[in-house]
Amino acid sequence: MGRASGDRRAERLWPALALPGTGWLVLLFVVPFYAIAAVAFGVIDPLFGSPIPVWNPLQWQFGSFTEVVQRALTGDLQPVFVRTFGYVAAALAICILVGYPVAYYIARLAGRRRGLLLLLILAPWWINYLTRMLAWINLLEPDGYVNRFLQAVHLVARPVDWLSGNPYTVVIALAYGYLPFFIVPLYATLDRIDGQLLEASRDLGIGTRGTFWHVTLPLSRQGLLTASAITVLPMFGDYYTNTLVSGSPTTTMVGNQIEFYLLASQQKAVGASLVLLLSLLLMALMAYYLVATQRASRELA
Amino acid sequence: MTMHPRERPAYDRRRFLRNSLLVSLGGVAAPSLLGACGSPTVSSSSTALPMARPGSPVELPLKGEPIADGLQPESGTLKVFNYSDYVAPGLMKAFGKQYGVDVQVTTFTTMDEAVAKLRTGQSDFDVFFPTPDILAKVAVGGLLQPVNHSYLPNLGNAWTQLQNPFYDRGARYTVPYNVYSTGIGYRADEVQSLPPNGYDILWDPKYAGQVHILDDGREAIGMSLLRNGVTDVNTEDQDKIRAAGDQLDKLVPLVHVKVDINGYTEVAENRATVHQCWSGDMISAQYYLPKGVSTDVLGYWRPDTNAAIGNDTIAVAAAAQHPVLAHHFLNFMLDNDNALRNFGWVGYQPALSRFTPDFLLAKQYVPANLKSAVVTMADYDAGVQLLQLSSTGRVLWDDTWATFKSG
Repeated sequence: MGRASGDRRAERLWPALALPGTGWLVLLFVVPFYAIAAVAFGVIDPLFGSPIPVWNPLQWQFGSFTEVVQRALTGDLQPVFVRTFGYVAAALAICILVGYPVAYYIARLAGRRRGLLLLLILAPWWINYLTRMLAWINLLEPDGYVNRFLQAVHLVARPVDWLSGNPYTVVIALAYGYLPFFIVPLYATLDRIDGQLLEASRDLGIGTRGTFWHVTLPLSRQGLLTASAITVLPMFGDYYTNTLVSGSPTTTMVGNQIEFYLLASQQKAVGASLVLLLSLLLMALMAYYLVATQRASRELA
Repeated sequence: MTMHPRERPAYDRRRFLRNSLLVSLGGVAAPSLLGACGSPTVSSSSTALPMARPGSPVELPLKGEPIADGLQPESGTLKVFNYSDYVAPGLMKAFGKQYGVDVQVTTFTTMDEAVAKLRTGQSDFDVFFPTPDILAKVAVGGLLQPVNHSYLPNLGNAWTQLQNPFYDRGARYTVPYNVYSTGIGYRADEVQSLPPNGYDILWDPKYAGQVHILDDGREAIGMSLLRNGVTDVNTEDQDKIRAAGDQLDKLVPLVHVKVDINGYTEVAENRATVHQCWSGDMISAQYYLPKGVSTDVLGYWRPDTNAAIGNDTIAVAAAAQHPVLAHHFLNFMLDNDNALRNFGWVGYQPALSRFTPDFLLAKQYVPANLKSAVVTMADYDAGVQLLQLSSTGRVLWDDTWATFKSG
């Protein structure tokens, strides 16, 4: 067997390894996405009121989609989109403020206990999502532990109404729900940073704080971006956290309106259009993420 | 279509904890899209559906022939398609034992989902539980088969008006199942008196933070219409619907309204002082009270006339493989003793003449202070029903509700 034929086989092998992943993506992302578009741009069965997907793009009707875009820009959906972006941004800020120091501590300072600490961070994930959120409801009830504590230390005179459309509760619950997804990828990046670089930096007299700002933080930018993307994307679509801890019109997010239009109305095309619009916005964010990470890795090189 | 009392999301806490950790998230939105994918081409009969109203009853067109008289029930497995937790499991076993068959209950979450599944043509359910508001489309759409009354002697136990109901003249396709009203559940230990127009209590700032309404556009806007004195709760008059929606919008700043369908736990556990809810919710709430709390803390109000009332039905699916057995099942459910057993488990009242408020009080299924949560035949006639709308009307209602929900 000559070397050349072995190379050719290898050339065929590596792309072949990507096949299962590609197939997975096509099957579970491209096809469903196209199905959503076919519903969004499709028609409604006159008898059953159910959507009939239109698969041929030449026959697509864009009425529902333009209506949704219009409502998102100037109509009743505008506050919903603004709110969603605000909540997600605030929850992301909490994730960064809480998650970065934790990831940093585990990666750099925890030493032999890091395995245990990572395990502990993931421990709540052994418990079902619903149970964890319902626990919040018990804690935040008018006569729950949080209010009793706040009253006992005289921080508040009357119980705080956490659960009737309180935006802070929604933001906290979102941050709580996705925090581990933020910590773990960030930890992986911080852990990979070469300790010698940090030592060199300190040896050169820049100090601990300076080392963090000028070495650790820039080196972890890629991880920070990845962690943010991983947490932000599901937060944008989340409707259930909001339903559980608020259930009030004052905190309705895009996900809630999607849920309504897809499950409880007969305007499935409007629901599907909302899904598309949200996806387009998220794709723009992802494009920024790709550009930013590429820049980050170029700078590292 | 309206949401049905059994269209409960997965976050019913008690039931969740009881059934442990098997709830899967994210699957909620899947069925409708999947249903969309599997649905066939545009239905041929694009003619307007008959819109049944108490004042203008509808005789549904016959699709196919009913089964012949005097056939022997089939053996095998009877497939029942119903809301989850909406029929007593023990009763299903009893039916199976009586007929020497197995009973398999498959559940759905919403009527939309159920209809989509029936339409795929791959299902061979024998028995289906449609609500009157979707009955015309499933019957005209050929998803049900007409019933043969010679197998249904117990239909005589049902309320007289439901033996020949306005939504299905001649009971060609259905027999009645449960009835309920929509009203206001409240904490009797905190609400001293009800305002003259009972619905006004939801707008009372005294209960700010403790007011909940049903997460169901038809029910909530319908209630606001009734409060405004509009008794046609199926109106498609834009001004009336908008006025009702505007009143709902005011609930947000006035009382920080919450929106859910868990009246039976929210009132029982005192997270809601007043909660728009279904009558069956308050009857069930007895079992969700914290230990040691008397049922006296529960109250239920609905107007004497023009209360929103609803019922559901049982029918034989067109694709039934066991149509004779299915007829026996319908008859079995209309038996007084079986119905009582079912009521004890489900909490929703069967539309049978024997089940009067006094009977249910005497049997201790309902405490005296919740007597108004029992629906009588007279209540049914004096009430109003949320029924099928035209598709343009439906859009109007949906968008009004979406606007309220967007805050």
